[in-house]
Amino acid sequence: MNDETLLNERVEVIAVFGTGHHPCRPIRFRRTSGREIEVTELGLRHPVPTGLKTLHMFDVTDGGADYRLEFDSERLTWHLTMEADHYE
Amino acid sequence: MNNEFNYERPLIMHIDLNSCFATVEQQARPMLRGKPIAILNRRTEHTAIITASYEAKEMGVKVGMKYRDAIVLCPELIAVESDPAKYRHVYHKLLDIMKEYSAHVTMKSIDEGVIDFHHAAEPVLQRDMVDIGYEIKQRLKDEIGIWMRCNIGIATNRFLAKTAAGMNKPDGLTVITPANLRETLGKMKLLDVTGIAHRNQKRLNSVGIYTPLEFLDADVVTLQRIVFKSVVGRWWHDRLRGWEVDDVDYDVKRVGRQYVLERNDLVFDEVVERLHHLCESVGSRMRGQDKSARGIYVYAKTQDRQYWHSSTLSPLPFSSDKTIYQLARRLFDKAPDSLREIGIHCYELEPLVDDQISFFQDQLVRERQVTDAIDAINKQFGDRTVHSAHTLGTGMYVKQKIPFGSTRYL
Repeated sequence: MNDETLLNERVEVIAVFGTGHHPCRPIRFRRTSGREIEVTELGLRHPVPTGLKTLHMFDVTDGGADYRLEFDSERLTWHLTMEADHYE
Repeated sequence: MNNEFNYERPLIMHIDLNSCFATVEQQARPMLRGKPIAILNRRTEHTAIITASYEAKEMGVKVGMKYRDAIVLCPELIAVESDPAKYRHVYHKLLDIMKEYSAHVTMKSIDEGVIDFHHAAEPVLQRDMVDIGYEIKQRLKDEIGIWMRCNIGIATNRFLAKTAAGMNKPDGLTVITPANLRETLGKMKLLDVTGIAHRNQKRLNSVGIYTPLEFLDADVVTLQRIVFKSVVGRWWHDRLRGWEVDDVDYDVKRVGRQYVLERNDLVFDEVVERLHHLCESVGSRMRGQDKSARGIYVYAKTQDRQYWHSSTLSPLPFSSDKTIYQLARRLFDKAPDSLREIGIHCYELEPLVDDQISFFQDQLVRERQVTDAIDAINKQFGDRTVHSAHTLGTGMYVKQKIPFGSTRYL
């Protein structure tokens, strides 16, 4: 079975807002424990409309684990909602 | 139509995302790439696999197989719960790309669509279709992600384009023309032909047709009068020769949902709560299509694989969740015990218009106003912001999953 940990952890994120097909790219985030994670690849960004509000899901990796960062475009907050690293 | 092949320029392109949901998950989660993964609607061992990655397919894992059987074949198989929002996003990205080439785009399901270039703009028509195909493949990688792959088929009609898209998987691009049609069909079995399942195979076998090439060589009279006993025989004759017979839109005839119960020991009241949830979901979808219904059909499958069903037709059209549930609940009183799966659909659909509520005005108008208000709230604040208190505990089980075979709700 796939070992995923579902979380709802507020995180600090450094993201680049640019142009092109992926205009927002998280590049690093800091967890509440103080651990910093360097994003090596943005897997996919997809929106999830929640009524009139839109949440943006960023599936990213640091090369060792996959993470899901959730950006609330109304409150401008980031949450880490999933971590998965035990695939073997 | 005559016995000739269609020699016009191939301008129908069928695009099929390879193992779509598994590929999208591998795109989103790089650590899953190159590994055998299975997409399930629920991560339990008795759930059926809805998509398997190519790595899993190589180990013998097949779509529809139970997860517990699949891990016997492939012990390292990783189960991933389906994420419809993700697949919907990719569907819309693919649709946007396709629409840039022609206004005549038809999505056949969440992971495949057809571009008809016949009426495309002149600069597009001047280009080689194969170049456009490779460009679309590259755009999927650039605009969605590097792991995205698709199969593309190009031909003179939808049927042959889909057949071509089914070849050279994964990441293939195949063109079928009269020049290579016989060679292509020669490599296939009758059951590989889209639209030929066991029943049609039996019909064809009864007149000595055992291969797609023999099917191609059959004369139209045999197909029409003996094999299919209708105009369907002529359609097959033309379809195999590259003439278009499938460019038709079908109107929505019913709206429904089913649910495989999460446990085998649910008591009747708990099953009914889930039925109520399905009714709310079906009502919302139906009203979203501006339809009302006159018929309700409920069914159930028992743990010992028995099938039970019941239906009723109402003299007046209805669309509210309350009425759908009341009718379904009444039918469900006679449902058997020990259920494994339940389902409901509304049929005899008609446009949702106000002049239908001329009788019993007060009651129906009030019900309609309440339903409209609830729909408006749910649209603004999200699905199931307002719903029956009876279904408060069902949301974590009866989640919205992938609408296979239809793109109406995407």
